[in-house]
Amino acid sequence: MVDRAPRDDGKLIINAVASVLVLSYALPYVYLVSTALKPAADVQQIPPSFFPAQLSLENFGTVIATAGLPQAFLNSVTVAVLTTLLSLLIAVPAAYVSALYRRRITVLFMLFALVTRMVPAVSLGVPLFQIMKALGLLDTTIGLVLAHTSTAVPLAMLLMAAFFDGVPKELEEAARIDGCSRFGAFWHIVLPVMPSGLAITALFSFIASWNEFLYALLLTSQHGKTAPIVIAEFNSVYGLAWGPMAAAAVLFSLPVILVTLILQKQIVGGLTFGAVKG
Amino acid sequence: MTERRFVLLMLLPAMLFLGFLVVYPVVLLVYNSFFDVKLIDPSSRVWVGLGNYVEALTSKRILESALRTLKYSTFALFFELVFGLGAALLFAAIAKRSHWHRTIFALPLMISPIVAGLLWRFLLVGNIGILNYGLAGLGIIADPGAIKWLSDADIVIYSVAVADIWLTTSFVALVSYAGLTNIPQEVLEAARIDGTNAITRFWYITLPMLRPVLAVVVLVRGIDALKTFDLIWIQTQGGPRQASEVLSMNIYQRMVRYGDLGQASATATLFLLFMIALAGLAYWKIWRTDNG
Repeated sequence: MVDRAPRDDGKLIINAVASVLVLSYALPYVYLVSTALKPAADVQQIPPSFFPAQLSLENFGTVIATAGLPQAFLNSVTVAVLTTLLSLLIAVPAAYVSALYRRRITVLFMLFALVTRMVPAVSLGVPLFQIMKALGLLDTTIGLVLAHTSTAVPLAMLLMAAFFDGVPKELEEAARIDGCSRFGAFWHIVLPVMPSGLAITALFSFIASWNEFLYALLLTSQHGKTAPIVIAEFNSVYGLAWGPMAAAAVLFSLPVILVTLILQKQIVGGLTFGAVKG
Repeated sequence: MTERRFVLLMLLPAMLFLGFLVVYPVVLLVYNSFFDVKLIDPSSRVWVGLGNYVEALTSKRILESALRTLKYSTFALFFELVFGLGAALLFAAIAKRSHWHRTIFALPLMISPIVAGLLWRFLLVGNIGILNYGLAGLGIIADPGAIKWLSDADIVIYSVAVADIWLTTSFVALVSYAGLTNIPQEVLEAARIDGTNAITRFWYITLPMLRPVLAVVVLVRGIDALKTFDLIWIQTQGGPRQASEVLSMNIYQRMVRYGDLGQASATATLFLLFMIALAGLAYWKIWRTDNG
C-alpha cells in the first residue's frame, strides 16, 4: 500500500499504526486491572480516572472474603480438570480411528461431531436440566462435568483428528509389522509422538469448561456454582460492586492469560489449525 | 482383533457418551415440544400437538428476539471481519516484526465472555462509564451523558455487540494472518512487477486466495454469534424491556422464569433446526464452490 514511499519508511509507518491498534485494543483490559487495584472508594468516582491515584488491594481482600467465591473457584477448577480428563479419554480413541482408519462409520461419526457444534447450548440445556434432575445430579459438580463434556468431546475429536492426520500411516503399519497389536500401536507408538497435540486439546477443553456460563447457570443453584456464576452475581446481589467485581474478573482471567502467554505459539497454532481445518 | 472390531471398540465410548448426552437430550427436547409441561412438575404433561409451535411462530416476542439475534450477529460479524482482516494485513505487511503485536492480540482469545461482558458494561455504563468521558474529552460527543449505550432501547443490541467484536476480532485476525502467510509471495511479486497497485492486488489475488479461510471464519464465528447468551446476559440481562433479548435468552427465560418447558422446547427445537439448516447450506455452498 506504500509502494511509492521508500520501503523502510513505509514499514515504519505500518508498524506504528499496528502498534497503536494493538495497544488501544489492550486498553479495556488494562482498565479492568487498574480498576481492581483502586481503593474501593475511588472506583465509582465521577469523572472516572484511568489509573489509580494510589494502589490498593482492598478489592481483592473483599473478593476473597466474599461468601462462596473461594468455593466457586474450587468448583471451577474441579469441573474443568474432570471435564478435560473425561473428554480426552472419550475423544482421543475416536479421533484416532477416524484419522487412521477411514471407514464409512468414522466419516459419519466425525460429521456428527461437526453438526453437534451447531447445537445451541440452550437447546441442549433445557433437556439436560430434566435429565440431571431425574438422575439427582442437579447442583453437583458431576452433573456439570457431564454437561461440559458433552460439548468438549466433539471439539476434542475434531482437534485430535486434525493432529492424528499429520501422523504418517506408515508409523502405525511399522509397529504392526513389529508385532504390536492395533491397540498397542495406538498406545505405545502413535500417542507418545504427539504430546503437543494432546496438550493443546487438553488446554482448549479446560478453557472452554472454565469459561462456560449457560450450563452452570441452568444446572447449579448453590453448591455446584462455578466462578463465572458467582462473579455475575456481583451484579445483582451486592448492587453494583464494581471494585470487587473487577478484582474477581482479574483473578478469574489471570491464570488462563498467563498460560496463554507461555504457550502462545502452540495455542495460536492449534486455534488456526482447528479453524482452517474446520 | 479384526480391523472392523477395533474401529468399533475405539468409537464405542464416544458413541455411548454422545448418544446419552447429545442425541437423547435432543430427542427429549423434540418430544417435550409437543406437550404442555410445567417445569416444577414434569410429570404433568398434556399433549398439545403442534400447539407450542404455533404459539412460538405467532409470538411477537419470540419473533422479535429471533430478528434481534440476526441483527446482532450480522453487526458483530461484519465488524469482526473488517477489523480482523485489517489487522491481519497490517501484521502481514511488517511480517516478522509483528510478533509482539500478535502476542498482545492473542490475549482476548482467552478472556472469558463473562469477563468481557462485565468489562464492557463497566466501560459503557451510564455516569461512570469511562468511554463517554473519553469521547467527550475528544470533543466527539457533547457531554458524557450524551449516549446511553446500554439503556437506550434503540441502540442497545448494537452496544452489547461491541464486547463481542472486541473479544473475537483477534480470532479473525490471527486466522486470517495464518491464511495470508500461506499465499505464495511469487504470485504477489509477479503482479507487482506487472505494475498493479496494492488495491488491485488485494482485490484480485489476496482476497480470492483467502476465500476458503474466510468462509470457515464466517461459519465458525457466525454460529457462535447466533448462539450468544452469556456476553449479553451479563451486560443487560436482555433489557431494557427486552430490547437486547436474543433467542437463547428468550428460551432461557421461558424455561426458568415462566417454567414453561414445552414452550421453551418448541422454540429451542426451531432454533436448532434453523442452525443445522444454515450450517448445511453454508457447507454445501463452500463444498460446491471448492469443487467446481
